Amino acid sequence: MTPAFLAAVVDTLLPGEASSPDGRIALPSGTAAGVDLGPYREAARPVLQAIADAAGDPQAFVDLGGAGRRGILQAVQREAAEEFARLLALLLPDYYESAQVLRAFGWRTEPPQPLGHDVLAMDEATRRKLERVRLSGQRWRG
Amino acid sequence: MNRVALHDPVDVLVVGAGIGGAAFSKSLAESLPSLRILCLERGGWLDPSALPASRPKWQRAILGPWAASPNMRLKSGAPSASADYPIDDSASAIKPLMWSGVGGSTINWAAHFPRLHPSDFRTRSLDGVGSDWPFGYFDLEPYYERNDAQMGVSGLAGDPAYPPKPARAMPPLPIGRLGMAAARGFDRMGWHWWPVDAAVNSIAHDGRAGCNHCGPCLIGCVNRAKSSVDVTYWPKAINNGVELRDRCIVQEIVIEGARATSVRYRDGAGGEHLQRASYIVVAGNGIGTARLLMASGVKSPALGRNLMFHPAAYVRGMFAEELDGPVGPVGCAIYSHEFYETDERRGFKRGIHLQVTRENALLVQAMRMQPAWGAEAQRRLREEFRHSIVVLVQAEDFPESHNRVTLADRIESDGLPGVRLEYRLSDHSRRSLDFGIERADEVLRAAGAHRIEKLPLAPVTGWHLLGTARMGNDPATSVTDGRGRCHGVANLIVADGSLFPTVGAVNPGSTIGALALKVAEDLVREIA
Repeated sequence: MTPAFLAAVVDTLLPGEASSPDGRIALPSGTAAGVDLGPYREAARPVLQAIADAAGDPQAFVDLGGAGRRGILQAVQREAAEEFARLLALLLPDYYESAQVLRAFGWRTEPPQPLGHDVLAMDEATRRKLERVRLSGQRWRG
Repeated sequence: MNRVALHDPVDVLVVGAGIGGAAFSKSLAESLPSLRILCLERGGWLDPSALPASRPKWQRAILGPWAASPNMRLKSGAPSASADYPIDDSASAIKPLMWSGVGGSTINWAAHFPRLHPSDFRTRSLDGVGSDWPFGYFDLEPYYERNDAQMGVSGLAGDPAYPPKPARAMPPLPIGRLGMAAARGFDRMGWHWWPVDAAVNSIAHDGRAGCNHCGPCLIGCVNRAKSSVDVTYWPKAINNGVELRDRCIVQEIVIEGARATSVRYRDGAGGEHLQRASYIVVAGNGIGTARLLMASGVKSPALGRNLMFHPAAYVRGMFAEELDGPVGPVGCAIYSHEFYETDERRGFKRGIHLQVTRENALLVQAMRMQPAWGAEAQRRLREEFRHSIVVLVQAEDFPESHNRVTLADRIESDGLPGVRLEYRLSDHSRRSLDFGIERADEVLRAAGAHRIEKLPLAPVTGWHLLGTARMGNDPATSVTDGRGRCHGVANLIVADGSLFPTVGAVNPGSTIGALALKVAEDLVREIA
């Protein structure tokens, strides 16, 4: 389980975006966002081994192109769905809590508190729609 | 052999400090201040400084120690503030969600606070299904009002789907871009919609702050704007003289002849205690109450049976326009009761609740993409995040005897028998959900959605744990009478959602609180 193998797994699962859609910040790849499988190597060993075995060995997985790696991962997911889901559960929090990824989604990096968020109150047009409902007559029965 | 500590008797002992136990205790103490009232709660008080919403890596708490499911919390292995017990839900189509601590599941609820409709109390008489309650909406109405006053409700009076309600204590929560976009859809369809009643402060109220819309209500409320009963009922109940012993797990209600005489409980350090009481009141939710009553040898053919949730489906519409994203309060925008009352042309009786909810945290939405991963998952998340509206379709569950809570052979680490759920989605519920999914699809498209995703049954939605100690007149088909008294053990009382003979299609928190106040007042009349 070399660092290159682990990085290849991460970046196949979390490829990011090659270019920025609609002028937004492009999503980084998993490793570019700082995701590291190293600390999870033991927890994920069975599924990582299955990936390496399916490719032949860890380096063979690294040497495959993107389509080849995806094919290997899809096969392992079919064979070991639960372990594969556990691998994703290990990686996704680190990725989707990273500042780079939050910014790419246009979301702030600060936690919900103490700042909170602004939410718009009902505008006048919506109030008029609600008035139609209010005047629509009793709907309950008893 | 461990020494058992014996305590001076109390007048009333309440098991469970959730909304039922809190409302009951506070009301009783207020009416009869001379009573000695004790509440035993298996979990502890929440430490607001320990809540995750103030930390940078807060999202992962939703998947671990702050997951809504006790089984998920236990499985994560992370220390949780909830005193959980495992629930074998392998035979249940819906997975149970709860919180075990002071405040009960109001700690991690969304605080959507609707009442049942008048027709919900008379489903047998009106529609020939389910069972009538022993009393009607208008009997419970004064208790709804009192419960609203204690909890603090933001909302707007005037909804024609309900009998008139007084002005709410606070203005409605802002519905945001999401709510206004959804309202556009309902308006185009010509359907009913209304801003939700929420047990969340929209402005400062009753010594607590107004909501700052931070988003993740389900991982505890940092600024205490959300009305969990640890910050509403309990401080007042304690001021009124109620004693609350937390981290005390009741092992058994001791029943001698036709009377409950005491409870045996274990404290947080493992010490054993025996507490005598004149009345014992159980409020541990539809699973915990049934578990304890069964473990204590209460005999009733209906005990544990007729388990009801509210089967739920999600319909998600994707919009080109930017919406709000994961802001709060998460469960509270607008709802529609256009299809709440029976119309037999739909092919089923009773109705559905449509609720427009807000988005979840980015990580939670990313986790939902599975089994997709890679570029496909990221593309879908791009399309959805800050650009989606979810309509929750909630169906009325009917009481069905085969849906039940049973005890397992093993003893869990909390000292009680293990608990198992058996629950099948009925054909009726499936038809109701399918009807609701189609209506949600229509309204989202009318609002401007360019793509729709449907989840026909959302399994991890078992918040509403109801019906397992139902009220009724016949001991063959009910566990308690209309005042919550167990048939055959008259000083053993239930004061939670277990009592519901039927459940309507709306969230039960408001009704559980009102019902507990009524049960307390019924006891006051007897004692006074």
